[in-house]
Amino acid sequence: MATVDHAEHLPGGVGAPEPTRGSQMSMGMLAMMLFIGSEIMLFASFFAIYFFVRFNVSEVWPPIANNGQPFELPVLLTGVNTAILVASSFTLHWGEHRLKHYGDRKGLERGLLVTILLGAVFLIIQVNEYIHLGFTPQDQAFAGAFYTLTGFHGLHVFVGATLLVLMYIRVKRAHDFSPQWATPLTAASLYWHFVDVVWVLLFILVYLL
Amino acid sequence: MATYAPTHSHPGHHHHHMDPRPLSYWWKRAFVYTTVSIGLSFALVYLLREAFGLTPAWEGEVYYAVAAGVGTIAFTIGIGCWDYWFRWLRGKQVDPEDHSFHGAHSWKDYLKVNTDHKVIGIQYLVAILFFLLVGGLFALLVRAELATPGETIGDGETYNGLFSVHATVMIFLFVIPAFAALVNYILPIMIGAKDMAFPRMNAFSFWLFIPGGLMMIASPLVGAFSAGWTAYAPLANQGGTGQTLFEMGVQVVGASSIASAINILVTVFTMRAPGMTVWRMPLLVWGSATQSALVVFGTPFIAGSQFLTMFDRIMGTNFFNAAQGGDIIAYQHIFWFYSHPAVYIMILPGFGIISEVIATFSRKPIFGYRAIAFSTVAIAVLGFGVWAHHMFVSGMAAWLRVPMMITTIIIAVPTGVKVFGWLGTLWRGKIHLKTPMLYALGFVLSFVIGGLSGVILGTIPTDIQVTDTYFIVAHIHYVFVAGSLMTIFAGIFFWYPKMTGRMYNERLGQWSFWLMFIGLNGAFMPMHWLGLHGMPRRVATYDERFAELNMFISAMSLMMGVATLLVIYNLIVSLKKGDKAPWNPWRSRSLEWLVSSPPSLFNFEATPQVVGGPYQYGIPGARHAVVFAPQEAGGGEFTEIPTRTILVVANQTVASQPLVDEIRRRSEEGLWRFTFAVPVEDGDARAAERRLQTALSALAEDGIDASGTVVKGDPFAAAAAVTSEEDVQEILLATFPTGESPWMDEDMVDRLRKATGLGLNRVVVRPEEALRPLRLRGSGRVAIVADQALGGQGLTDAVGGMADEGGLSAVLIAPLDLDIPGWTDEAGERRDEVTARMQRSIASLGALGVHADGEVLDGPLADAIALAVREYGAKRIVLIVARGGRLDTGDALSGAQAAAGGVPVEHVVVDAEAPAAPAGS
Repeated sequence: MATVDHAEHLPGGVGAPEPTRGSQMSMGMLAMMLFIGSEIMLFASFFAIYFFVRFNVSEVWPPIANNGQPFELPVLLTGVNTAILVASSFTLHWGEHRLKHYGDRKGLERGLLVTILLGAVFLIIQVNEYIHLGFTPQDQAFAGAFYTLTGFHGLHVFVGATLLVLMYIRVKRAHDFSPQWATPLTAASLYWHFVDVVWVLLFILVYLL
Repeated sequence: MATYAPTHSHPGHHHHHMDPRPLSYWWKRAFVYTTVSIGLSFALVYLLREAFGLTPAWEGEVYYAVAAGVGTIAFTIGIGCWDYWFRWLRGKQVDPEDHSFHGAHSWKDYLKVNTDHKVIGIQYLVAILFFLLVGGLFALLVRAELATPGETIGDGETYNGLFSVHATVMIFLFVIPAFAALVNYILPIMIGAKDMAFPRMNAFSFWLFIPGGLMMIASPLVGAFSAGWTAYAPLANQGGTGQTLFEMGVQVVGASSIASAINILVTVFTMRAPGMTVWRMPLLVWGSATQSALVVFGTPFIAGSQFLTMFDRIMGTNFFNAAQGGDIIAYQHIFWFYSHPAVYIMILPGFGIISEVIATFSRKPIFGYRAIAFSTVAIAVLGFGVWAHHMFVSGMAAWLRVPMMITTIIIAVPTGVKVFGWLGTLWRGKIHLKTPMLYALGFVLSFVIGGLSGVILGTIPTDIQVTDTYFIVAHIHYVFVAGSLMTIFAGIFFWYPKMTGRMYNERLGQWSFWLMFIGLNGAFMPMHWLGLHGMPRRVATYDERFAELNMFISAMSLMMGVATLLVIYNLIVSLKKGDKAPWNPWRSRSLEWLVSSPPSLFNFEATPQVVGGPYQYGIPGARHAVVFAPQEAGGGEFTEIPTRTILVVANQTVASQPLVDEIRRRSEEGLWRFTFAVPVEDGDARAAERRLQTALSALAEDGIDASGTVVKGDPFAAAAAVTSEEDVQEILLATFPTGESPWMDEDMVDRLRKATGLGLNRVVVRPEEALRPLRLRGSGRVAIVADQALGGQGLTDAVGGMADEGGLSAVLIAPLDLDIPGWTDEAGERRDEVTARMQRSIASLGALGVHADGEVLDGPLADAIALAVREYGAKRIVLIVARGGRLDTGDALSGAQAAAGGVPVEHVVVDAEAPAAPAGS
């Protein structure tokens, strides 16, 4: 079968036909949602071990640490930290709102910057908490579960903040994102909100209850 | 091997630049990044341990774990997966439509990062076949240990390592990625897409899989993990470095699997061609999407479980240490919450493959399409609610047992729905027993046994009785080998022509099936009995009374090994020697069969339009999809293909030059496609298959879309077999000249015209043209040098056998080696006699669809060899000699080898008595 040169049909003349799209759903957002679904299950497995330790093994709660005292968590400081992290969700949303409704890239930059700073403050306070807790992961199983949950969450905050830093670079250097198109930004911010929600759950289940 | 056919594609790839950097650049970079990062991670761990005052500073497992993780990421960066993303992240301008890593021009492009889903599919396929061999080797070692009751090849600890590595390799590195291989290649084409949703992430998934896999198979070198693939805590906590590599390997391979599952889901959700509603998706798409959902939501649980055991092992946490407030049962709950859904991860795409194969080779719409689709989803949902049936004897909460038993028994229902769907499809279908269909039928038959033993095991009392016996081993192998492996092989054979553009060797394929089928049933069936009589699993020794059965099982496992090697041999050899594959060798309906084999660079020239279901076999006029191609003339307008079908009815004349010329001429006048129907009333159906394949291959080389089938019966039956399924516009009847053709004696032209109500053209082929079939371009030129064997059935069979391995054109050379002057009458008589035998061989080979020329010469063997090499350019010389004949000596062979120079010479001895069957009428 003879073929004809039909490069004129092809966008950008790079040899690729236009993508097949049977749907208007954003691919990037869908992928991020599925990824978050996967992350939820990862945290679920860590919450599972926490619940096993709490409801299947422990006779008293909080359990007794190796030093003979019940485990004690700094609820007040962490409560403040929780507020910081929750606030960061709002600052990020504010930045996104500036871009999407006003086309204001400067506002987005400011929003991102404040969010990243709040995230960093959260991590610093968390590490400070680890230093002053008075028990290590090698203590009773509760300690392992506590460090695993909070540690993995901290890692996720770090990853989320890194994503936001990269978005900041895109805005700053490539002048990327517009009210019409901001999929990577929206996906990164969705991830950040997810990390916040996990923390709120974690705070309630591990610290408060 | 290029991934795309030159036909129906961009000649010369005007704008398609491949990245110019050579293979060595990427692999050097990968090596440097990996080693440097491993060194840095050692240094970092050391510094951190010093900084926090952790003693001792050297805690090997910590270093290995960190190095394994960091090294893996560094490897993917070095090999080039991240280059595009890093450019984007640094704020550089990037071209999202950068295709410089897309498609393969040579084998080298398969060894570096490639974004083409077809290349990635092949990369996965090669990798999983390698891991299958590794896993199979470990299986054979396990069976060697168990061949006799005592310690046979090693001690108990060695044995623990053997079965652990075997299971892990087969599950994580063969079965699960095998579906990634097939789905990567087929699924985007099936739904009418140009590629996966995220081609770069797709490449990343593959290159993540490789270091993860290597980590797992490297573990025997450092002391294999020996706690089984389930790695139960606290047993796994005692493992050494091998266990660390297992835990990190599971993380890495799991991450790869999640990334590829997200990719598949997004592809299926957003990239289906217009018109492809969910109820028009092929069942493989249903199976794969559902499986991907299981991967996305299930796999994090095994990641979690392996993190927890690893922390226990190398950080000193106490999750599974009862003395420190830990909970041992928790490991099993978390592990099985993934690993039960994982068994559906390992079979749902297989169910999809079986649905494709059975519908295609039964020529019937799949029975209960929606029921099968729903049952797939039902299995996935229910699959998350049965995990504790693995733990009936673990000491878990007693109240959990009965609910889990009930859900376990319920989950057999959707699986049963599928089995009845397949049986309903087979019912009164026109069944074609090609290799993929054999595997599919073998799957249905033996998978049901595995499914039923699953229900038996789901009942608590039985399970308590047979837990940790060979009954469990029998069950798991009936679902993984008789299940997953058979579906994978069915899929590989089914899509092999599409992926490579070559047909596999059908005869070898069928051999491999029977060896595998008998081997697996022979190996795993007796295990039920062993289990019921109390032979424990995972123990290197056993009671004397089980000795004979175990020896039998070990022998059967060797047979499966042979079958596997035969499959791999077939796949490799057919790459070069296989017949050219037509676009649609199976006359299948789904989209991947409506494009060239292999498909063009971006699969489709223009987005196809789906207009109906994918399984409407036997419904004339029904279409699944409309594919477009640039029109011959008219400045690149896209037009719908294929428009109209010509039915070609021919038997002896199928592979003749006049018929093929006529088809070429017709295909030039417009977008015709051709379906052959070859009626065979009493002749040799295999010879008819051979002739048909020759014709299809010749047409495939010209890019003409043709497919065909051999039908038992007269030409009316043949025509009806096609017109009952396809819209046919015209008939092309090829016959011998009037007077020499039995068909013409029966007035076939008018009668066929009346019977079908279609226009009919006749192509006249002279008998000598029919007996001189097409010389296939690009097929191997083989010189056959023969003595008294010439003219005998043995020679015909031997050459026919070679032709079955791949298209060839033969030249027969008969050296007379005259010891008398060439002008004497006696010499003349001997020449005439040999020439007659030569004609007999050429005719009987022609009837098999093998093109052959011949030459008789006076001189000795050495002259014949020289002639073959010099004049005929033979790439391979075969001495076919009669047993005890003139050339059946070692001297003759060595003399021939000396005369042949570098050309390989083979030696075949045949019986010369029976003269070759005369050519057909």
